[in-house]
Amino acid sequence: MTTEFETTPDTSKRVYLSYIDRTRKHYLKQGFNNPYRWAHHSDSPFTALSKPLSESRLGLVTTAAEFDPTLGDQGPGAAYNNDAKFDRVYTRPSDTLPDLRISHIGYDRQNAQIDDLGAYFPLARLQESVAAGRIGELASRFYAVPTLRSQRLTSERDAPEILELMREDEVDVALLVAV
Amino acid sequence: MSLAARHLEANGIPTVLVGCARDIVEQCGVPRFVFNDFPLGNPCGKPHDDEIQRGIVEHALSLLESAGAPRTTLQTPYIWNDDDESWRARYSHISD
Repeated sequence: MTTEFETTPDTSKRVYLSYIDRTRKHYLKQGFNNPYRWAHHSDSPFTALSKPLSESRLGLVTTAAEFDPTLGDQGPGAAYNNDAKFDRVYTRPSDTLPDLRISHIGYDRQNAQIDDLGAYFPLARLQESVAAGRIGELASRFYAVPTLRSQRLTSERDAPEILELMREDEVDVALLVAV
Repeated sequence: MSLAARHLEANGIPTVLVGCARDIVEQCGVPRFVFNDFPLGNPCGKPHDDEIQRGIVEHALSLLESAGAPRTTLQTPYIWNDDDESWRARYSHISD
């Protein structure tokens, strides 16, 4: 007997993949047997919006790096480029589109020809949202957080720096993009 | 990045995090997460697809407004490639 289940197209492949497992396997096969331990929390803080988005100032946070021609290949087809990493929080104006790259971030190059800033840095789209009145305004600068594989540095140094900058800029809500 | 979201939120700034690595973000635990099931590196949409990129930003803004509790994940409806889901199997694969 053919069941409904058997005739239904297989959608199980649409279950998301575990990057933790895949990355661990990847490095184990390369001979590294000390896998990175990602942060784990059983709870999360929560703050409700205090006013409508149309009256709010939004701060954008990225892990992308500013293009620096002295630091080797950072193009869309670049291999992993550890030299292009930055090690301190930085900010740049948000009224023009910067030249940000992601060659310093570990992702699988074979499946991503990422030659469009918009795929990982949504500033142009957010500027449209402001023009449409969906968001009150953008903070005058955006914020960049280093990816140093140190939970201590992120939690105890970089995140507090971002908070301080956002308080200076009177940011109401934050949109963070994890590349 | 998830740790930064937690810190901002704990200090009074509502956050939404946009990303592709669902397990990494959810294990850390963030207040609001917009999940795009795309290969790592494309959290804000497919390259040169303004419509998807606009949609993802709107999902993020909507989640800021609608989430009533922490650890709220919103999965967007976008699919990386309608005809070929094999990127998952190939991702960071090293053959034996």
